[in-house]
Amino acid sequence: MSFLTGPMHHHLEGHKELTSHKDILNMTDPDVIWVPLMNGNAPCTPLVSVGDKVNIGTKIAERNDHFYLPVYSPVSGTVVAIEKRMSTTLKNVDHMKIENDHQNTVDKPFNPIDYESVSNEELLEFVKNAGMLGLGGAGFPTYAKFTNPTNVDLFIINGVECEPYLTADYKNMMENLSLLKTGTLALLKLSQAKKGCIAVKEDKKDLIAKLQETFNGTNVEVRTVPDIYPAGWERTLVLLLTGRRYDRLPIEAGCILNNASTAIALADALVNGMPLRQKYVTVSGDGVKEPKNVIVTIGTPAHDVIEACGGYTSEEVKVIAGGPMMGNSIPNDLFVVGAPVNGLTVLNYKPEKEVKCLRCGKCTETCPSGLEPVRINNAEKIKDIDTLVKLDVNACIECGMCSYICPSKIDVTEGVRRAKRYMALKK
Amino acid sequence: MKFVFKPAPHYRSPQSTSGIMRDLTLCLLAVAVFSVVYYWMNYGSEVGLRVLLHLAISVCCALCTEAIWFACTKQKVVDGLLSSYGWVTAIILTLISSVNVSHYALGVSTVLAILFGKLVFGGFGQNIFNPAAFGAAVLMSTFAASNVDLVSGATPTQAINAFSWMTTADNVNTLIGNYGGLGNMFLGQYVSTMGSTCAVLLLLCMVFLIVRKDIDWQLPVFYIGTVFVLTLLIGLMKGAGINYALFHVLAGGVLFGGVFMVTDPVTSPVTIPGKILFAIGAGVFTVIFRLRSNMPDGVLYSILIMNMLYPAIDKIFDGNQIKNAGSILKKVLIGACCFLVVGLGIGAIAEVKEGSVASPSSSGSAPAVDVSLGTPISLSGDLATYKAEAEEISNDGSVATYHCTARGFGLLDPDGIASHTGHEYSRNEMDVTVDLATGTVTDVVLTHFGDTEGIGDIATQEGVLAGHVGKTLNDEVDCVTSATYTSESIAAMLQAALNAAAGN
Repeated sequence: MSFLTGPMHHHLEGHKELTSHKDILNMTDPDVIWVPLMNGNAPCTPLVSVGDKVNIGTKIAERNDHFYLPVYSPVSGTVVAIEKRMSTTLKNVDHMKIENDHQNTVDKPFNPIDYESVSNEELLEFVKNAGMLGLGGAGFPTYAKFTNPTNVDLFIINGVECEPYLTADYKNMMENLSLLKTGTLALLKLSQAKKGCIAVKEDKKDLIAKLQETFNGTNVEVRTVPDIYPAGWERTLVLLLTGRRYDRLPIEAGCILNNASTAIALADALVNGMPLRQKYVTVSGDGVKEPKNVIVTIGTPAHDVIEACGGYTSEEVKVIAGGPMMGNSIPNDLFVVGAPVNGLTVLNYKPEKEVKCLRCGKCTETCPSGLEPVRINNAEKIKDIDTLVKLDVNACIECGMCSYICPSKIDVTEGVRRAKRYMALKK
Repeated sequence: MKFVFKPAPHYRSPQSTSGIMRDLTLCLLAVAVFSVVYYWMNYGSEVGLRVLLHLAISVCCALCTEAIWFACTKQKVVDGLLSSYGWVTAIILTLISSVNVSHYALGVSTVLAILFGKLVFGGFGQNIFNPAAFGAAVLMSTFAASNVDLVSGATPTQAINAFSWMTTADNVNTLIGNYGGLGNMFLGQYVSTMGSTCAVLLLLCMVFLIVRKDIDWQLPVFYIGTVFVLTLLIGLMKGAGINYALFHVLAGGVLFGGVFMVTDPVTSPVTIPGKILFAIGAGVFTVIFRLRSNMPDGVLYSILIMNMLYPAIDKIFDGNQIKNAGSILKKVLIGACCFLVVGLGIGAIAEVKEGSVASPSSSGSAPAVDVSLGTPISLSGDLATYKAEAEEISNDGSVATYHCTARGFGLLDPDGIASHTGHEYSRNEMDVTVDLATGTVTDVVLTHFGDTEGIGDIATQEGVLAGHVGKTLNDEVDCVTSATYTSESIAAMLQAALNAAAGN
């Protein structure tokens, strides 16, 4: 249908060479951390009190509404406070402040298991108890995707990483190929799919070669996707790999997707019995002196990470939690690196001069959801609720493509967000 | 340390609106340079400079109008001018005008185009009509009489329109031949509106703009394609041949309009299905206007009419383009079929005009003639009012040459002309050589032309005069439309010479 819809994607200048072949900096022994007590929009209940001694692996909080998600301490030390800090969602949420005693005492919350010999139910229970969550950015509890895997014919590991600047997944995969293999095969087993695949961008030649070697002899195929944005979005990736579209969840198209870093974290739990405690984070952009990838303990403030990369290059910067397309810019650098953060993009601030819309329709042609951002913006301005409903505003994933492509430099995506908020108010 | 807060995304495409307009301006300037060079080389520096002056006047008028508007509406003048792109409108308007338009007509049309075509709607991005097309419509309908006749000869669209847009294959080939053949028309070596002739250059501009993603390929391709396919089908249906479709595409503003006007993003729909339907509609209207209206070229009005429809087209295709893919495809197909059926229907009922258009002189050396002809004049008829006289200047027994004089167009107003020219009437003179044995004209040379330059002299072009060779008193000669008196004056002189030869 692209004859009538336009390409619905676009090649972006990735700037990945800034960090893709630099050495990785290890920052896994910070003095003090703030663990966010939040998963998605749901708060997590603290299970320890101020003054308590915790070890690596001590369960310190859990989410227990319609989803279950335990939070384990990434360091050993003392809980000194529970205080509000701005999170990457720009809201003030509770964080648990833990002072590291640098003893690295481990308190294993679960024992390693052999995924091949256990039943699917046991494996699912393990994933749930290990506190695995989507590390691609959404932070969705991993077990929830596998509770009822019917008619799944393709399990997909998403290693596309289509955001510009970010190379954390690439680095993580390159460094941890055997863990990636274990995690992928375990998740493939859970999905009950006949075959699996691991999707990476076609320009990552070295990674593709290593992956093919690693997965040789398994029923996991290495698949490449073109260097386009948003190839890493579930819908676009499923479409690219299978030619299928779906309405709400990828399982409708017979697919389950997980991020590559999630598979590696799961393998760490399966093999070593260790919960998620650290993350690969890309620190990049023209606003930071020494762009590189950093292994960061969860709960480390962005300020410390950026300082470790040489600090800022100018006095006026945008600090973005994530990549430049979908990441929020945060008005300070005190927020901490939580589980879903896979990059800190620091850009020198260059104001864009906005001119009038020339109705070129580029936003419509590149929208991966098939929306008309320009029409949505115009309807939002006059608060035309009927037209907004017709324009299917809520199908927007805020990928940022419409603002990116706009030659008039209009904040088109922000207009669509306004429309979504207006719709939510009117409902 | 300052942390800037902005909503995502924080990454912008290098392409900008001013960049798009810069590319567009470059392409338009390339076309303008071609036009200046063509007229300079073929009609002298005066006409070449006139093209330049047209461009300068139009651009100045556009910028001044915008500057005054921005000043009056208390906007920043320089910023406003730079983000309003008035010069693009001005250059397009100039290039779709004839070199013969007067400077003031072009200037006033530019002001009206900018003011009523664009600014009153809210400026750039808000206008409904393509401002240049709006200005050209004003120019055509209001200032047609102010044209000066620097470069004479009908444009291809005028020539075919004066005869009939629905004609035979022979006539199409004659017309193409009159403009030097298809190759010549591709290279733009003929007179039409200033910018619309050079097909090769226009197609290069189209490719450049598409590759640079400044325009959507769907608009020019579907517009030009629709005109081509529709006229091809009509041509085959009516026996006008394949060249008929090529003539439709090459003659007039189809290519220029397809590359620079249909593609105006402001006045076309935002979705791709909308753009496809828009372009097909404009193509069908162009063909309909050519076949069924008295306008020489339908491009302008077809674009203006589709401009009017773009808000409706946008509304038709509103919604999620993926979820509604089926219904969108259905709408495009139904819309396109409706347009094409109407276009083909109009073509089917169009009558083929037989007869033949003026063909170039058989000698091959005379320049091509493109004149439309009225009722022929009988050389044995009554032409006494012209008081033609023939005086023998040589006679070798087999051929005789006569110096002939006759009244011209001035006999309509004997008093007025007599007083200010000093002649009794405007007077034409020519030398006519007659074969005494057969009583046929063998050569005609005009020695004095006393009628109106730019009107009567259409009948005294070499090609027309050459057409009189071989005539006898029993024949008829061509009468050139809009130069009837001059034609009759010449016929009277031929009659006088032939009579003198008969009496010899």
